[in-house]
Amino acid sequence: MLRAPYRFACLAVTGIALALLSSASTAQLAGLASSQDDLAPITNADWNFETAAHLLERAGFGGTPAQIEALAALSPIGAVNSLVNFEPANNRHLQAFEHSGIHDAGLEPFPPSRPATTELAKATGQALGIKVKQEGNRRLQPVVNKFFYWLRASRLETNRVAYWWADRMVASNNPLQEKMALFWHGHYAVNQTKVRDYRKLLVELEMFHEMGTGSFRDLMVAVAQDPAMLSFLDAGVNLKGAPNENFAREIMELFTMGVGNYSETDIREAARAFTGWNYVDLDFVINEDQHDNDVKNFLGHSGNFDGVEIIDIIMEQPVTAEYIASKIYRFFVREELSQSLAEELGNILRDADYDVATLLNAIFISKDFYSAPSVGSQIKSPVQLAISTYRKLGLESVPGVPDFNQATGALSQSLFRPPTVAGWAGGRSWMTPGLLLERGNFARDVLFPDINFVPPDRVNGSSEIRSVADRIRQGLDITSATQPSSLGEGGIMAESNMLADRDEEFNTRYGSFRGWQMAIEKVIPIPRHTARLNLSKMLDERGVENTTEAVDYLLARFMRVQPDNSTRSMLISFLNEDLGTTSITEAQTYMEDSLRLVLHLIMSQPEFQLG
Amino acid sequence: MKKNNKDKTLDRRELLAGMAGLSAMSMVPPAFAQAAQAAAAQAVASGKVLVILELSGGNDGLNTVVPYGDDAYYRQRPNIGIPKNELRIIDDHFGFNPGMAGFESLYKDGKMAIVHGCGYENPSYSHFTSMAYWHTAAPNSGDEYGWVGKLADSIAPSAPSNYLVNIGSTQSLAVKSEKHVPVVFDDPNRFMREAFAAEKEALDVVPDIGEVENPSRRFLLDIARSANDASTLVRDAWSKYDSPVDYGVNDLDLQKVVALLDAGMPTSLYYVSYRNNSFDTHVFQNNLHRRLLTYTSDAVAGFIRDLERIGRADDVALMIFSEFGRRVPENVSLGTDHGAANAMFVVGNQVKGGHYGKLPSLTELADGDNLAYTTDFRKVYQSITQGWLGHNDSANLLGGDFGTFDLFS
Repeated sequence: MLRAPYRFACLAVTGIALALLSSASTAQLAGLASSQDDLAPITNADWNFETAAHLLERAGFGGTPAQIEALAALSPIGAVNSLVNFEPANNRHLQAFEHSGIHDAGLEPFPPSRPATTELAKATGQALGIKVKQEGNRRLQPVVNKFFYWLRASRLETNRVAYWWADRMVASNNPLQEKMALFWHGHYAVNQTKVRDYRKLLVELEMFHEMGTGSFRDLMVAVAQDPAMLSFLDAGVNLKGAPNENFAREIMELFTMGVGNYSETDIREAARAFTGWNYVDLDFVINEDQHDNDVKNFLGHSGNFDGVEIIDIIMEQPVTAEYIASKIYRFFVREELSQSLAEELGNILRDADYDVATLLNAIFISKDFYSAPSVGSQIKSPVQLAISTYRKLGLESVPGVPDFNQATGALSQSLFRPPTVAGWAGGRSWMTPGLLLERGNFARDVLFPDINFVPPDRVNGSSEIRSVADRIRQGLDITSATQPSSLGEGGIMAESNMLADRDEEFNTRYGSFRGWQMAIEKVIPIPRHTARLNLSKMLDERGVENTTEAVDYLLARFMRVQPDNSTRSMLISFLNEDLGTTSITEAQTYMEDSLRLVLHLIMSQPEFQLG
Repeated sequence: MKKNNKDKTLDRRELLAGMAGLSAMSMVPPAFAQAAQAAAAQAVASGKVLVILELSGGNDGLNTVVPYGDDAYYRQRPNIGIPKNELRIIDDHFGFNPGMAGFESLYKDGKMAIVHGCGYENPSYSHFTSMAYWHTAAPNSGDEYGWVGKLADSIAPSAPSNYLVNIGSTQSLAVKSEKHVPVVFDDPNRFMREAFAAEKEALDVVPDIGEVENPSRRFLLDIARSANDASTLVRDAWSKYDSPVDYGVNDLDLQKVVALLDAGMPTSLYYVSYRNNSFDTHVFQNNLHRRLLTYTSDAVAGFIRDLERIGRADDVALMIFSEFGRRVPENVSLGTDHGAANAMFVVGNQVKGGHYGKLPSLTELADGDNLAYTTDFRKVYQSITQGWLGHNDSANLLGGDFGTFDLFS
């Protein structure tokens, strides 16, 4: 399962498995266990399979034993370097995103709401590139249909972009590039539901791929001028004489300095510097006549600043490097870091002129990174869980069943849909009793594909829309077909259900249905293959002969933190009972199902959630 | 509404019983709640339940409970101010946003207390910071635990299972507790282990925390235990739940609360929310805001009706809040920016309906153009913990004595 360019001599993996389990139950690394906060680099003597596994898990999404061995075979500096200062040439096998072709020029600029669209259409005779009918019933229906078409199509296409990205996460030979893009995606969070344009999200993602390990200052400027962010933070309505603070506030509060390092006045002054910043389609523009050209007073400086100069002043503040370096550290290492460590990391980033790769190198080579509090202590995010599971299974792409976006969404993380502009809180917030059970269910869906799976890009999730579709097919007129269907006998209809059918110039519910129909005509379907697994072959290739070795191999390959001995015994007994023998050789021809059950049990363990 | 009615005659009888109490919904001046029960103040023993509904994003209180009687409102909001003839008038000064039929009825039935001008000193205009203050009852300070979590620790220090329920995709800081593991789930149908029969026994076992040192691992083992304790209860409760009540477009998870109450879940504290900063109406506010308020109003009204249907309406009080109100003058995008003081609502059969607190001035604004708070929000928390749950340890819980409104009969 090796991908170019890492080639090396194979080590006997069974030997590795046994070696792993003979170490302590958590991934304790002798000699480094108590090196918390020590940023001095580890030595060759400290470097082994365990350290390499930990590095690959954090700097990337984990991998197969073979991939870990490849990393372990390098020197520690070589290993860290190969991940952080990656070679783009390693990824020649990855394809660019294939667009479905859902967009057309008539859709620009897209109005902020359905009422705004119909108002525009009534005022000018057309909207979204569609003319209003001269006569007849529902003259605005085609416009409304197109409105809903774009919302649905962009949402579906965004899901495809997420799939394309997830495929990269699984298949990339430069996993740190993807992991860093994931970090920036959470840091510079924008939500598809508000941006409503998959192209802007793709542009932003490509920016994170390209600039993710370069200068943070350059990235901040690029994001501040990026249409996705401008649209998400209402920068387009930030005008001279009436500055909108949303943009300036979030830049300072969330992206660079954190609360407490600026005043409300600083926010209002900064907002003035960003006035006139807007976008047309996918291009950043500055509307000079809407730009406030007067002097601003910001963080103790005075001058006729524009947005870029504001960002540069922010970069001069000591707190900025510390804030960003700490956040990067918490994402890759652990949640709690001391003030002195935070300052040290801030210094490293600042002295490197905000070069992120320099900071990452320092973190990944440090003794602190391999100390006990840093290892096996991170609750995997839903995306990390899914991708690392797929990588550990040796898959080369993300299965279409279960649906990646549905699966990670059920675990509370949906790419391109962070809950707020603050992104995902991370850490322990990934875990609740409900979510723990969901994680076990995700594993089950991968190992035992649901034969009743319904592709969400083919069947609309709203029962209302499905009901409208059925009634239209049966020949009902639009008014009858779009009555709310859920009212029970004698029940009191809620206000919101009574509002639905008032306007005669168009029918919203019909537009919603028709828009969905138009969208699925255009959007390329996501391939629905399941995970191609053969656990029997996996064990066979390792020369596993009995159930104890089988369980130990699976535990070693899939878990970074080993469970209790009682759990291990339970798994072995379970396998014995299900196979009717302790001999793997004996059970060769029928053991696939049983192995998958064991793996499901493993993936349902609390310890499996740790990376 | 969740399912089709199975037994029509029974449901019709239940509905009629419920509707008898609803005849007061037509235009009748505020009637006060039923005769007060001589209830002991021991909240847990008497089965008193508190439900908190969080509206995230900063709900614009001024366009929710509109002070049409004050000209300044229209001067400050020439475009987004709601004309009097569109409002749902409740008295000679206020009217509800047009979408809020449910709130209008509840108020006129005397079941809704509106507390004006709630906020705190030195307000934060950051969603996350201000919400954290409301969650911890520690404004301009901070606390590791949420006020609801601390309340649970205080009332029930032995931390029985399933005492605190938070319905959501992640755990809210408000319920973060030192001793309790809040039951947090989102879709009850998915709050279950989808396992093969053969695996059940193996999956039911959660090893002892014992000498586990890795703190993340200890945390996960606690979660696993709570999941096992709660999931069957929650799922069974949800599958038995069958209500004809119309909650509108978005029930805000209140149906799940009713399902759990009806199934006898031993929970005293429920936390639900209208999520994802939905109320953050910076641009083109009116259509969107009206929709949000309609859904909220429908959900709350449905909730109260449903509680009456299961005979628990006297046991439940619902508190509704947001992390801040919005700026008094509108902005150029026909929306509003982050503000400060806001209205809070307390709803329930035992609530003494009406207006509480001093109305903040619309002309003498704080911090440039924001409502100055007149009631510390912790006073409302205290009114509920003391007046409803009978818990008098506010010094510990809220960091002081903020006094109380007499909100309950």
